Amino acid sequence: MEFAGYDLDDGIYDEMLQPNGEPREHSRLLYETLCRLSSDEINSIQERVTRSFSNEGISFTVYGDAEANERIIPVDCLPRILPATEWKHLEIGLTQRLAALNRFLDDVYGEARIIDDGVIPADVVRGCPQYRSEMCGVTVPHGTWVAICGTDIVRTNEGFLVLEDNLRVPSGVSYMIANRKVVKTSLRRLYRSSRVRGVEHYGRLLRKTLRELSPSGRNDPCIALLTPGVYNSAFYEHMFLAREIGAELVEGRDLLVNGGFVYMRTTTGLRRVDVVYRRVDDDFLDPLVFREDSLLGVPGLIHAYKLGNVAVVNAPGTGIADDKSVYAYVPDMIRYYLGEEPILGNVQTHLCRRPEDLEYTLDNLENLVVKRVGESGGYGMLVGPHSTPEEREAYARQVRANPADFISQPVLPLSRAACLIEGRPEPRHVDLRPFVLHGTETRLVPGAFCRVALRRGSLVVNSSQGGGGKDLWILQD
Amino acid sequence: MLSRSAQGLYWMGRYLERAQHLCRLLQLQVEALVDRPVREIHLGWSRIYSALNRQPPFGGIQFDRRDNYTLADSYTLAGDLTFERSNPDSVWNCFAQGRENARQMRHCISAEMWICLNLAYLRIQKLNIEDIWKTSPENFYAETVEEIHTFSGVAATTMYRDEGWHFMQLGHCIERAQFSVALFLSQIATARLYQESPDGDCTALLRLYHAFDAYDRKHSVEIRPDRVLDLLATDPLLPNSLCRSLDSAATELAAIAQGPSASSSAAANRLAGRVQALIRYEWPDRKDRETIFRQIGEHCRDLHNQIMSAYIDYGVEDAPLH
Repeated sequence: MEFAGYDLDDGIYDEMLQPNGEPREHSRLLYETLCRLSSDEINSIQERVTRSFSNEGISFTVYGDAEANERIIPVDCLPRILPATEWKHLEIGLTQRLAALNRFLDDVYGEARIIDDGVIPADVVRGCPQYRSEMCGVTVPHGTWVAICGTDIVRTNEGFLVLEDNLRVPSGVSYMIANRKVVKTSLRRLYRSSRVRGVEHYGRLLRKTLRELSPSGRNDPCIALLTPGVYNSAFYEHMFLAREIGAELVEGRDLLVNGGFVYMRTTTGLRRVDVVYRRVDDDFLDPLVFREDSLLGVPGLIHAYKLGNVAVVNAPGTGIADDKSVYAYVPDMIRYYLGEEPILGNVQTHLCRRPEDLEYTLDNLENLVVKRVGESGGYGMLVGPHSTPEEREAYARQVRANPADFISQPVLPLSRAACLIEGRPEPRHVDLRPFVLHGTETRLVPGAFCRVALRRGSLVVNSSQGGGGKDLWILQD
Repeated sequence: MLSRSAQGLYWMGRYLERAQHLCRLLQLQVEALVDRPVREIHLGWSRIYSALNRQPPFGGIQFDRRDNYTLADSYTLAGDLTFERSNPDSVWNCFAQGRENARQMRHCISAEMWICLNLAYLRIQKLNIEDIWKTSPENFYAETVEEIHTFSGVAATTMYRDEGWHFMQLGHCIERAQFSVALFLSQIATARLYQESPDGDCTALLRLYHAFDAYDRKHSVEIRPDRVLDLLATDPLLPNSLCRSLDSAATELAAIAQGPSASSSAAANRLAGRVQALIRYEWPDRKDRETIFRQIGEHCRDLHNQIMSAYIDYGVEDAPLH
C-alpha cells in the first residue's frame, strides 16, 4: 500500500504522519507494515473486517429509516494509535472532569452553592430541560451521580479538547470492543509487536462499578439492564453489555414496583432487582414522575430509588451536566470544586442566550457549527461551511426565535487518521470517546470508540450521519 | 430466568422447527416434480396447504393432467410457501421470526449459535423464488434444513443448560408435535377425499421423517398407510416420531423449575403426561386415528397455553417474591 498522494494539511493534525510525510514515532510500525502490504492484502483484510461485522450482526438503527432497522456499523480496518503518554494525559484529565461533574450534580440538586457563589447562572441550570427538580435533596451512594461517562474528545494542532460530555446513556463501548476483536486478529503480527493495551475487560469493570452502587446489605446484587427495546438505535449494545456483565436485559414491562422495591418477572416469580443500569432517557423512566405517557419506563421506580432500595445508573437528572450550555461552565466547575486548573480544555463555546454571543453567532454562521442544546447524535446541527445560504437563513430564524436553545462553536480542524478508502489510504476526520466508570473509584479501560467521518471532507462522525468506527490502540509504556 | 427471555427462546425453538419442517416438506415436494405422477404432486400440495390450514393462492389447487400447468402452478405455490412475505407460515417468515427472537435474546444464547443463524439468514435474505427455481430448488430447501441442523448441533455443544435451553427445546418439541398432528390429519383427510393414498404419498411421509429404514426393519417392503402412520406416531426410537416429540416435551418441562404457582406448573406437567399417555396407552386400542390425533392436537394447544400462563403471563398479585 502506498502513501504517495496522501493528503497532508499543515492546519490539520494527522494521527499517523508528521507534516513532512514521515510517520510519527508511535505509528512507525503500523506505517511500515502497511507499506509492505499489497493492495490485495489490505483489501482482503478490510473485507474480512466488514464481513465479520455483518456476520455477527453488529448493528445500529437509524431513526426515521425503515430500511435501516439493522444497519451494520461501517468499520475501517486501519487502527489509530496513541502513545502511552498521550493516554495518560487523557486519563488524568477525564478523571478530573468526571470528579467535578459528579460534585456539580451533588451540589445543584443539593445546596446549589455554585449558583449562590455566582459561578454559573441559576437560569442556565434551572432553565435547562434536563434539570429534574424531582431529584433535589436526593442522596446518591458514594456521591456517584454519573457512573458511566462517554466523553467526546477531539484533537487539533493545539492538543486534545473535550467536545461533549455524555452523562446520560452514552453508547459506543460495544463497538470499541467489537472493533478490537476483529482488527487485532486481522493484523495479528502487527498487534503483537505493537504492545497494545487490552480493552476486553470493560465488562468486568462495569460489573464491579455497578455492584459498588447497589443498595447496602445486598451480597449478590441482581443487576438489570433496562433497554427501550429492540427498536432503539443502540439495542445491539444493550444486548452486548447485558451479556458482558451477566445482567438480565429487561424492558419496562418486565419490571414492577411492589412495596417500594423493584422486581422483575421471572419464570419462578418476582425477583428483586438491586441495580437498574438504565439505557432509557430520564423522560421515559417513570410515568408517575416524568412523562406520564411513557410506556418504556417503570411506574414507581423513582419512589423505590429515593427510598434507597434500588440503584439507578446513571442517576436521573444527570443530563443537566452534559447540557450544551452547561458544558461551557465545566472548566469553571473544575476550578470551583477541585481547586485545580482543567487538564483537558473545552472548545470555545458561544451561548446564544447571551445577546453578544447571539449576535456573533448570527453574524458568523458560515464559519461556525451551531447546535441545539437538547439534541445529540449529530441531529439538529448546522455546519456553517458546509451549508447553503438558504439553510443558514432558515437556521438563523430558528436561532432568533429561541436563542437559549442554541450554542455555537468554531469549526474545528479535527485531526485526521488514515482510512482505507477504495483500496487507498486517505485521511478522514476522527474523534474518540473513552468510557470512564466511577463507583467508589474511577476506572478506565485504555481505549475508546474512535469515530470517523467517512465522507471526504465531512466533520460529522456520528454513525447516524455517515460516520463509522476504527480501532484505537493505546500503547504500553 | 426473565419470563420474556424464556418466551423468546421458546418461540425461537418453535419458529425454527416450523421452518425446518416446512423446508423438508417442500424439498420432497419439488423433488416429486421431477418424476412423480401429476396426481401425486397434486396430493402433495394439498397435504401441505391443509396441514398449514391455509388456502393456496388463487383460491385452490386445480387438478389438471397437463404437466406444464402443474409445473407452472408449483412455481406459484412454492413461492407462496417459501418467500411470500404476506404468508406468516412461509419458510422466510418462520426463519426470520426465529432469527428475530434469537436477535432479541442474543445474550441468552451462545455467540456461536447467533452467528450460525445469522449467516443462514444473510444467505436466505438475498434469494427469491426465481433464483432458486432456475436450477435445483430442492437444494435451497436442503441447505436451509442443513443450516437449521447445524444450528441445533452448535446449540447442543455450546449452550448453557439453564432454563433457556429447556424452553428452547420445549418450543422445538411442541411445534414438532403440533405440526406432525396437522400433517397426519391432513394425510387422512386427503386420502379420504381422493379415496386413496398412493404409495408414493406414503413414501414421501416416510422420507419426511427419515423413517424408511425403520419401516423396512419393522415391516416388509410393502408400504401400507396404516402401518406408516403407526410407525410415525408411536415409534419411540424414531427421532422425529410424534411419540418421541411428546416424551421430549414432558422431559423438558419437568426440567424447568416450578413456576410462581405450584398448581399451575403441576397442571402443565399433568397435561404433558396426559398427552404422552394418549399416544402410549390409548393408541393401540383405538382404531379411529383421526379422533385421537385431534385430541392430541387439542392437548398440545392446551399445553402451550398452560406453559404460557404458568411461567410467562402469570398474574403478579400472588406471585412469590424472591
